[in-house]
Amino acid sequence: MVKNRWLLVAILVVSTALILGCAQEQQPTTPSGEGKVETLYFGAPISLSGKFAEEGKASLEGMKIAAKWINDHGGIKVGDVTYNIEIKAYDDESKKENVQSLIERLATVDNVKFILAPYSSGLTLAAAPIAEKYQVLLNSHGGASDYIFEQGYYYVVQTLSPASRYQTGFLDMVKAKDPDAKRLALVYEDGEFSRAVHEAAREYAKQLGFEIVYEKTYPAGATDLSPILNELKAANPDVLIGGGHFADGQLLAKQLAELKIDLKAISILVAPTFTSFYEALGNKAEGIAGPAQWEVGVKYSPEAAEKLGIEWYGPTQEEFLSAYKEAMGEEPPYQAAEAAAAVLSYAKAIEKAQSLDPAKVREAMNDLEFMSIYGVWKIDPETGKQIGHEMVIIQWQNGEKKIVWPESAANAEPCYPMPTWDEKEGGATCGS
Amino acid sequence: MAFVEQLISNLLYGAILGSVYGLATMGLSLIFGVLRIVNVGHGAFIMVGAFIAYWMFILYGIPPLISLFLAIAVGMAIGLAIYMLVVKRLVDAPELASLLAMFAIGIFIEEFAKQIWGADYVGYSWEIGGVSMLFTEVPFTKLLAFASSIVIAAVVYVWFRKTKIGKAVRAVVEDREGATTCGIDVSRIYALSFSLGIGLTVLSGVLVTLFTPVGINVYMGGEYTLKAFVIAVLGGLASPWGAFYAGFIFGLIENGSYTLLGLIPGVEPFGLTRFLSSVVLMLVLLVKPTGLLGGE
Amino acid sequence: MRNYTPLVTLLLIYAVMIAIGQGIQGMWQPIMLVIFYIAVGQALNIFLGMTGYVNFGYVALLGVGAYGMAVALGYYTDLGLIPALTLGFILAILLAFIVSMVVGGIALRLRGAYFAIATIGVNEGIKYLILGGKIWGGSSGIVLSGILRKAYGAETMRFLSTVFADAGLIVVAILSGVITMYILNSRLGYGLIALREDEDAAKVMGINVRRYKQIAFVISCILAGLIGATAWTLKLTYVFPQDVFAINYTVEAIVIVMLGGAGTLLGPVVGGLIYALLKYYLTIAFPGMQLLILAPLLIIVILLFPEGVVGYLAKAARGTRFEKFVR
Repeated sequence: MVKNRWLLVAILVVSTALILGCAQEQQPTTPSGEGKVETLYFGAPISLSGKFAEEGKASLEGMKIAAKWINDHGGIKVGDVTYNIEIKAYDDESKKENVQSLIERLATVDNVKFILAPYSSGLTLAAAPIAEKYQVLLNSHGGASDYIFEQGYYYVVQTLSPASRYQTGFLDMVKAKDPDAKRLALVYEDGEFSRAVHEAAREYAKQLGFEIVYEKTYPAGATDLSPILNELKAANPDVLIGGGHFADGQLLAKQLAELKIDLKAISILVAPTFTSFYEALGNKAEGIAGPAQWEVGVKYSPEAAEKLGIEWYGPTQEEFLSAYKEAMGEEPPYQAAEAAAAVLSYAKAIEKAQSLDPAKVREAMNDLEFMSIYGVWKIDPETGKQIGHEMVIIQWQNGEKKIVWPESAANAEPCYPMPTWDEKEGGATCGS
Repeated sequence: MAFVEQLISNLLYGAILGSVYGLATMGLSLIFGVLRIVNVGHGAFIMVGAFIAYWMFILYGIPPLISLFLAIAVGMAIGLAIYMLVVKRLVDAPELASLLAMFAIGIFIEEFAKQIWGADYVGYSWEIGGVSMLFTEVPFTKLLAFASSIVIAAVVYVWFRKTKIGKAVRAVVEDREGATTCGIDVSRIYALSFSLGIGLTVLSGVLVTLFTPVGINVYMGGEYTLKAFVIAVLGGLASPWGAFYAGFIFGLIENGSYTLLGLIPGVEPFGLTRFLSSVVLMLVLLVKPTGLLGGE
Repeated sequence: MRNYTPLVTLLLIYAVMIAIGQGIQGMWQPIMLVIFYIAVGQALNIFLGMTGYVNFGYVALLGVGAYGMAVALGYYTDLGLIPALTLGFILAILLAFIVSMVVGGIALRLRGAYFAIATIGVNEGIKYLILGGKIWGGSSGIVLSGILRKAYGAETMRFLSTVFADAGLIVVAILSGVITMYILNSRLGYGLIALREDEDAAKVMGINVRRYKQIAFVISCILAGLIGATAWTLKLTYVFPQDVFAINYTVEAIVIVMLGGAGTLLGPVVGGLIYALLKYYLTIAFPGMQLLILAPLLIIVILLFPEGVVGYLAKAARGTRFEKFVR
């Protein structure tokens, strides 16, 4: 008889496990009463493990800092109620299936109306149909690809600059510095993001009058780029743009140095914006540039906002830096700033709409414009694509990451042409 | 002319890379050959070796060549611990059980490493110059990776051929029951082989960073696991030597075919080289299911 | 002795899951995640569970299935919704069939672990063929939601990516279970189990080992293709090669089959439930730590329940009146 109960036990275990999930924290966020202080949750399915763990952690910290700043500065006022922001974050493991479950959990169990999208374009795209289904807002701070916003999703908006704008600033810079540097080469990772970036850059370069002398991709995870780089050398380019993510960006720079392929300027996606890039490459990193959504030292401030006649909102750069350093022990990468800006944009839009209804907040976003540490926030009302924010170009100079473009945000002159590999072997740096 | 020059350069790099691949596969083949266990967590151990090289260099300035000794010691210790705790109980279990256990161990090592080392991509610069050879530049670090792979493979080879215990290991690979009847303590051979297999794998992680000293990350192993499996099959799976030679061939195919595939218009030749290695694998299995160098 | 009663247990579990998903707020997607894992396990089990052969290239079949559907919807949108969808299912099945015939034809001549490792190249091969050959958009993939919205309207698109995709996946999952039950009761099933226990003996007894393996392989692969078409293409509305040809799904499917019990009907269901729920709640309780906790748990399960939970339960239920419900 004892054995007969096994099946029953199994079914019971299964059902209780399922039901347990629903018993957890049903958070009422309905506004009520006068002069009340309530908590408003912003949901965040974010990667704390898997391939986007690093970016995810930085993003989450950025969100928390922004939320704390809002709460310390009077919260969000809607009518008589003051809302304090809290970030409700779950780890999506960088996986698309998890993102969908978590979005639903946020939208229903946690009753969250405002979601900060997961990191990366792919995961943001996975989140979009579910967000649309529950009609909750999805604010992309790590999904740059343009096509997300070409699918007709109404509840999806973008805080960071789209992929098509990543490498264009660098090309502008080269053209301004040296109109004779015409021979452009592209060497990038064959991934959805880097392809979108470089296909847009290639077309832009043609408009600027560059001649494309070489274009090849390498697969993600490649450990030796020498076949491509040997060809590249023969094509004799002046300028190179390329890269994709972290590891391959470091590898590209390393092997350019090893094969002694001298260029006047190099711009690599993602990798150079991290301090580990310089640590890994030493002075071989000198003069290598890269696009960044944001960078420490960028000149966005309440004063700059006033000059442009735009409202400033959020912590100043000093406040943001010290808060991030205190929490994480290092300087914030751009993922932190873009995620913070996404939180700020929600707060601003909710206050403007004077409502917690996602549809009304989305409408308020249409003509919302403000400046934060991250720069200007303004979307295209039609698609939700970010149009206010500008990318910056960073360059490693004398062991420091400097902002060299656009001139309005720069804190250093571009180092152009960059030192040759032989000069660097002799210890040369930019500005020495 | 440019075509030939590039082909030769690519083959040169392919041979260097192939030697590292080969060594990085020997441990996998050894463990499979002796214990019939498929180590799907292989890459995690390569990652451990890469981090050993990185930290020794960054913290104490110890060049990777010295770290090789530390790596094999650490690797063998880890291997022995895993054998005692888990693998010992699974030697006679179905393949699937040990396969899954190794998968879980691999994940555990990666996640544990992430807790202590973070998910950053790191690298180190051991600048010892380079040399121009055969139409291209080769840094000495890569040449050292090449030379050490060959030397280490040769040492392992001699150890297997000439020492009593090495011969015992080979006897177990050939015939498990037969070895037992000959008075060989099979469980000791298992422990030794597993530990040595992991030791070699961790050690190869150091050589991997000699070739590619950047992009070191706790999840870097996956790429090498896949390659190691393909190479192991090419080499006959149960044979560490076969694996070493197959690594060479794999490196030559991967890099060498790039120039040829580049002649096809409208494709990405680098991506196609990866396709080609899968096709070669399938063809080899079709013609000679025991692997290119199997039957040793 | 034909015994289809375990199907009652199976359908009961699905009914409970669907009821929970529909009845409780916020449980639908988690339930669909569970069903995805169950389906993936169930389809793999038909080959792996019955033959003891590990197919590492498994995820590639989900991938080609996903591409079959995406190509139909993305490139043949003008056919109209129903024809394009039908074509999508046909292409998913056809691509999975072709791949499984080729791979099976070559790799099934190998035994045991040799087979497992030989199939590891399949996934990479197909992924890099699409990437390197720039086939079907190469790394840019196929993004469908905009196309579908334009062609069939926003309502239809939403219906496709939520209701239809989920319903499709549930049908495929249950179908996999029914097929498993059928095979377990058929000559094919007896033959397969005989060859799992001792392939040489099975051969001597006159079982056409190669053919039996091939049939199980192809069935398993086609079901995988259908899972890819519904759970990925229709539900997510996009396909990227790096995304669908990700080896971790193969491994997860193996974990599920092993947890539940290889070669049983209910094994993948129980395995899928345990795996997905454990992961889901670990994710919520310990963000970023779930894999660190999951891995040792997995090792403990392997050491203590080598024949899986259902294998264990089936043994325990033997001789009781529950016997015929557990398999």
